[in-house]
Amino acid sequence: MRANYVANADDKKILDPYAALWNSAQAETIAMEGTPAAMQPTAAIRASWSDKPIGAVNKVSVKAIHNGKSMAFRLEWDAPRQNDSHGDNTVFPDGAAISFPLKPGASAMGMGTPDLPIGVWKWQADAAEEGKQIYAEGMGTSEVVDRGALKVKSEWKDGRWTVVILRDLQVIQDNAAVQFLTDQDAQFALAVWDGGSNERGGIKAFSGQQWLNLTLAARA
Amino acid sequence: MSKRQLAMVMDLNKCLGCHTCTVACKRLWTRDEAMEYMWWNTVNTMPGKGTPRDWEEMGGGFKDGKPQLGHLPSREEFGDAWKYNHEEVFSGGKAGAHLEIQGKKPEWGPNWDEDQGAGEYPNSYFFYLPRICNHCSSPACVAACPRKAIEKREDGIVVINEDRCRGYRFCMEACPYKKIYFNPDKGVSQKCIFCFPRVEQGVSNACARQCPGRIRFVGYLDDENSAVHKLVKKWKVAVRLHPEYGTKPNVYYVPPTSPMKFDADGHLDEKNPRIPEDYLKFLFGEEGLEAKRIIDKEMATVRNGGKSEILSVLIAYKWSEMFGGFDTDPATIEWTEV
Repeated sequence: MRANYVANADDKKILDPYAALWNSAQAETIAMEGTPAAMQPTAAIRASWSDKPIGAVNKVSVKAIHNGKSMAFRLEWDAPRQNDSHGDNTVFPDGAAISFPLKPGASAMGMGTPDLPIGVWKWQADAAEEGKQIYAEGMGTSEVVDRGALKVKSEWKDGRWTVVILRDLQVIQDNAAVQFLTDQDAQFALAVWDGGSNERGGIKAFSGQQWLNLTLAARA
Repeated sequence: MSKRQLAMVMDLNKCLGCHTCTVACKRLWTRDEAMEYMWWNTVNTMPGKGTPRDWEEMGGGFKDGKPQLGHLPSREEFGDAWKYNHEEVFSGGKAGAHLEIQGKKPEWGPNWDEDQGAGEYPNSYFFYLPRICNHCSSPACVAACPRKAIEKREDGIVVINEDRCRGYRFCMEACPYKKIYFNPDKGVSQKCIFCFPRVEQGVSNACARQCPGRIRFVGYLDDENSAVHKLVKKWKVAVRLHPEYGTKPNVYYVPPTSPMKFDADGHLDEKNPRIPEDYLKFLFGEEGLEAKRIIDKEMATVRNGGKSEILSVLIAYKWSEMFGGFDTDPATIEWTEV
């Protein structure tokens, strides 16, 4: 898919999920699938989830734009229930994440490896306007590398979540975060958690084994 | 695998159900906001549903050696923290105001079925069962956590690393004793830490040190001079709760003895104890019945004028001998609040 260049749009404007500038962005519907129970990191989780459905959200509509300074994704999906808290401790907040390979050859599955790590932008509904930038070298290794770099706006309306996540194209973060260059290709993958279905951690819907391609348009 | 193992023995014949242990723990570890509903130490009446309600039916642990996830207990099942009109009573200036529960009338609490027990008069019975995290040798929580956020220390204490924990609560599903709580404010799971900051200074656990009934013994299991070693390993009068859960707890219990039953004519029935053996077996397995037989025999010896080293240790004439060397006076230590 393509991230168009939007001139004269500041971050605040882009963060509004219903801003008119998003209307002209190309939407792509990404089919989601549940993570395989067999790939969960502990035997207890594998056994418990082997006969339960994983991945309640089966598609996500995604758009991406940049303004020459910031890169933004807008995710939208059906969520009949809004889970924005831990409730009575037996539910989990809804969530979404966009992951990126930090080195060529990193896999879109399995949260990276020590040699081929991934970076993640994560949003969770109990902290609706806070995004976490995460670095991971494998399942169970994710570390929050920065809480401040991401800007997020989310809204649940009419049985749908709409989440906009935005960050500077380039950040000083050693090699622990993705860097974007305009007029170049990037790769990303998606994950969505339906907290009401007890989805958390590795129990989630994801966009599949292959990275999704993203071309950043050159500045006009 | 830990190098050594700290353990606790609780003598159920001496527990008064006074909850001093619970309050000692509460004041020390769970006073922060969002921890109101947490009771890392509980004392429930048995037979009973306990806390969380019907925890014995919630699953988890290991089955045929394979780890299982069970039910994820809710705040309501734990008994939650009831809200009261403290402001109105203590500073509202209104005459006649008295403490009342606010909001929805609770239908369960952390000690809802206290002193209820079982059986029909005159053969009704109950006993108290204090519980903390069992700091298991095969901890189901450790096995379930996808982030390796739960560690078994070299001294055998099981702790949750709150920096690694993401609050997924697989550990709460996995623990068959349901002694792990979720802190929604911090987004992490929390539980009994066996008072490790005290133990590291040679001071025994707050619940044990403050127990007026002197029911709790603490020490290293391999320390042959410790009471826990003698009671668990040497004399085998202290046994594991629900050993079939497969996690190998390191909190051991001296099972409750009980008076005889009354028969239909009101005479003592010497053959049948008030607490049914089947129930003790359900709680403590065959080992529990064997432990009770040993205690019964020792009691008979003393009743007939003899001496029993086992009973002398259980009576705990000297409190300092209960703690396997962890008998430093906490008042002699300069504690730092973090």
